[in-house]
Order: sequence, then structure tokens, then C-alpha cells
Amino acid sequence: MIEVINLHKSYGAIKAVDGVSFSIGRGEVFGLLGPNGAGKTTIIKILTTLTKADSGKCLINNNDVAANPLQIKHFIGVVPQENNLDRELSAYENLLIYGMLHKVSDLKKKILDALKMVGLWERKDSIVAGFSGGMQRRLLLSRALLTEPAVLFLDEPSIGLDPQIRHQMWDEIRKTSIEGRTVIITTHYIEEAEALCNRVGILSRGKLIALGSPQSLKNCVGEYILEFIDPKGKLVQEIYRSKEEAHESAKSKNNNVTIRKSNLEDVFIKLTGERIE
Amino acid sequence: MSGWYPLFYREMLLFRRKLLKLGYLFSAMVVPIIYLIAFGFGLGGSVRIEGGDYLDFLLPGLVAMSSMNNSYTWVSSALNLNRIYFKTFQVFVQAPISPSSIMIGEVMAGMFKGLFASVLIIIVGLLTTDGGFLTTIFFAALIINCFLFANLGVIVGMRTKSHEDTATYSNFFIMPMAFFSGTFFPVDKMPVIIKSIIYILPLTHTNILIRKSTIDEEAVISLILLITFALVFFIYGSNLIKRYSE
Repeated sequence: MIEVINLHKSYGAIKAVDGVSFSIGRGEVFGLLGPNGAGKTTIIKILTTLTKADSGKCLINNNDVAANPLQIKHFIGVVPQENNLDRELSAYENLLIYGMLHKVSDLKKKILDALKMVGLWERKDSIVAGFSGGMQRRLLLSRALLTEPAVLFLDEPSIGLDPQIRHQMWDEIRKTSIEGRTVIITTHYIEEAEALCNRVGILSRGKLIALGSPQSLKNCVGEYILEFIDPKGKLVQEIYRSKEEAHESAKSKNNNVTIRKSNLEDVFIKLTGERIE
Repeated sequence: MSGWYPLFYREMLLFRRKLLKLGYLFSAMVVPIIYLIAFGFGLGGSVRIEGGDYLDFLLPGLVAMSSMNNSYTWVSSALNLNRIYFKTFQVFVQAPISPSSIMIGEVMAGMFKGLFASVLIIIVGLLTTDGGFLTTIFFAALIINCFLFANLGVIVGMRTKSHEDTATYSNFFIMPMAFFSGTFFPVDKMPVIIKSIIYILPLTHTNILIRKSTIDEEAVISLILLITFALVFFIYGSNLIKRYSE
């Protein structure tokens, strides 16, 4: 469905994307995980025709993104990281213009369905500038789904949302993936990647440093983490293959220790020595 | 429906909201009306140009200037803001429409706003003159002028790196054109060196054409130059949109 081959993009001296390759199958929920500045948004912008790559190739449904951008735009939907709704227009008008641009048939009914899906039908005539951050994110999602795209790109979909709204957003995303849609999510929230993605690509400084299912990546580094504070007050984390090994090691520590299951952030720390922030 | 129409329709929705605020109507009219009062009624009583009333000379020039300002400013300013700050331009770039459709949509919206502001000045003109300046050539020149400067607005809106940059372009290109291109006085009164520069500027040719009652050689030259400017700006603007990359 999607193939990214040796992708490069620089902004001046900064290598935003440095030789990234991966492929995503139809119906898969794929996550790009990494800290700010890792190159996630740049990859999404290249795939969605907003940014031109320096070199490399991106194929969506066997169409070259750089060579056939118009073709690509027919079957993608995008929820951008930065809100690009028309703030002076109403929710309905935002979807109307978007639907007209994408030549959506039976538009009025689809707008009604899209707004109902995200619980904004009652506010359809309200100006978007008066919406909360969560409402605007939900409107962005409903706008992206209006064209019933085969591929949905979500760039940090729950950034800035409170936990309750974030979980509502996750439910919406799960619903769209159940419909057989290919979904690509960029996020720096570990729980988000673990909750939603079948497979994850971990990015650091423009390079893809790991690729696999969340479980397989965690298995690679060890499934259990032993955490304790050392005498200098520093948080120390040790990784163990099994719970028994972690317990055995904990006995030798004088401090209060915590044993927990590893997560994708532990994978990132193990691979880069840095935290995802 | 063509790809440009949703862009135009969006601008009209936003324009309708602005129109309901009295401030918009006032701001669209205030500058040309100040000029009309100061130069037309104040100075005009003691000045005659080409054997006629100064007001008859001034009014078509004010319409040309106002149509330039409004077509250009609305497009350049809105495009710059939508591209850099509000990011709404991304929605057009990611839609399955051609770069020239985006260009046409933006230009049509700019033309509409330029023509709207011009109509306001024409109404004031009809209250103060016999309306003799309203010829077929006048309307043709007005439409071409709006088209040309809306195209220039797209170019500036696409090229500028911040909203302040658009003001710089206005100060260096639009403002001098408004004053030196024959809006307030005939260009042939200027020194030869300055005159040769003024004749390169598109508004000069709009001002020549908009005051003609019949097509003569000078009108044909101005018409050809205006159309050439407009087409070059259109092609360049479309190319900027096509090459757009964040």
C-alpha cells in the first residue's frame, strides 16, 4: 500500500529525514514514534504532497507521490499537527469547502454523518474560533474522513488534548481502522503508539532506528524494567528478560525498587540513550 | 464544477462575514474618498487638466488605484497569512485540484474584492459628476486591472516569508505606483527619466486606458502591455504554487 524507499530531506544543514525506508500494508495501523525534530512530520508532509523530498521514492497504491501528486490526493486524508481549519468559518462551512475541493458526492449527507460521528452536529453553525482545542481536533478528524480516504494520515492527533478527550480520539481512530483503512500516525506519546499501532517505526535524528510490532520491539530489549533511585538521587533503569530475573536483582538493591513492564520509551532509551520528549 | 470554485466560494463566505462589519466598508472607501475630497473638491476647483474639470480626470484614476489596492492587498495579505500562520493553504495544496485552479480561485476572489471597492467609488463618482467616465473601455480596463493586480497579489503572497514582508512590497511597488502612474496628474508632466520608469509600471497603462473614450494607438499599446503583464504574472504565480514545498 505504502512504500518509502531511501528518503532524504534536508533543511539547510539539518538532515530532517536521512535515508528512511519502510513499507506499510493495506489496513495496517502504522506508527512513527520519536521525539520532536526526529523527522516524523517531514515524512508525513512528503507522503501527503506538502513537501518535496530531496531524494528517494514514496509510493502509495503504486503511485509515485512526487510524479503523480494529483492522483495521490484522491485517496488520502490528513489530520495535520497544526490546526489548519478556517477559524472564521463554521464547522459545517469548513467541511463544505473541503468536500467541494475533493468533489465529494452526496456532500450534505456526508457532512451530517461526519459531524455526528465526532459529536459536533449540534455545533455545526458555530464559528470554529470559539471551539475548544479538543473540538477542533475532532473536527479535523471528521474533515479528513469526509472523503472516505483509503489512507489516513494523523500527525500527532492527540497533541494538547486532555486524557479523556485523547481516549475519545483513540476510539475514533480505532473505528476508522476497523473499516479497513490504512492509518499512519505520528506521535511522541508512547501510550498512543502502543494503544493504536500494529507496527511502529522509531525515528531519531531523521533515521529509522527500529521497526516492528510494539511487542516485538519490547521483547528485543527485555520485557521487564527494574527502577530505583541511586545514592546520588538519579533514576536508574535496568532491563531484564523475565520478571524472575528482575526480582532476583531487586533483592540486592538497598533502595525502594519498582518492577514494571517495558514500554516503547524504554526501547527508545536503549537504542539512543535519550528520552522521547 | 471547476476546481477553482471552492476557493472562490470560501473567500466569499469570509467576505460576507467581513461585509457585515461596518469597519470593512469604511476601510475600503476611506482612502479614495479622502483623496477625492482633498484633491477633487479642494484642489480641483482651481485646476483644469486637458481642458476639462480635474474631478473628471481624477475619478477614473481613483477607481484604478482603488481596484489595484484592493485586488492586490486582499490576495497578498490573505495568502501570506493562510500560508504561514493559519496553514489553511495546506488544504488547497492537498486537494486534488491543479495549481492553476488554486491560482484562478485566489485571483477571482481578489478581482471580486477589487471590483466591489471600485463600485463604491463609482457610486460616489456618480453623485458628484455626470458619470461620463463610465465607458465600455473604462469597464474593460477596470476588469483587466483587477485581474492583473490580483495575480501580483498571489505572487507576493507566495513569495513573502512573513506578514511584514507584504508591507515592504506595498511600500516599494504599490504606493509609488498609486502616486506616480497618472492617478492624480498626467504622466507627461514628469521629467523624461522618471517618465520612462513610470511607463514600465502597469497602473500607468490602466490609467491611460481607463480614461479613453475611443480605442486609439495609445490605448492598443496599453491594452497589449496590460494583458502581457497579467499573463506573465498568472504564469509565474501558478508556477510558484506548483513548486510550493514546506
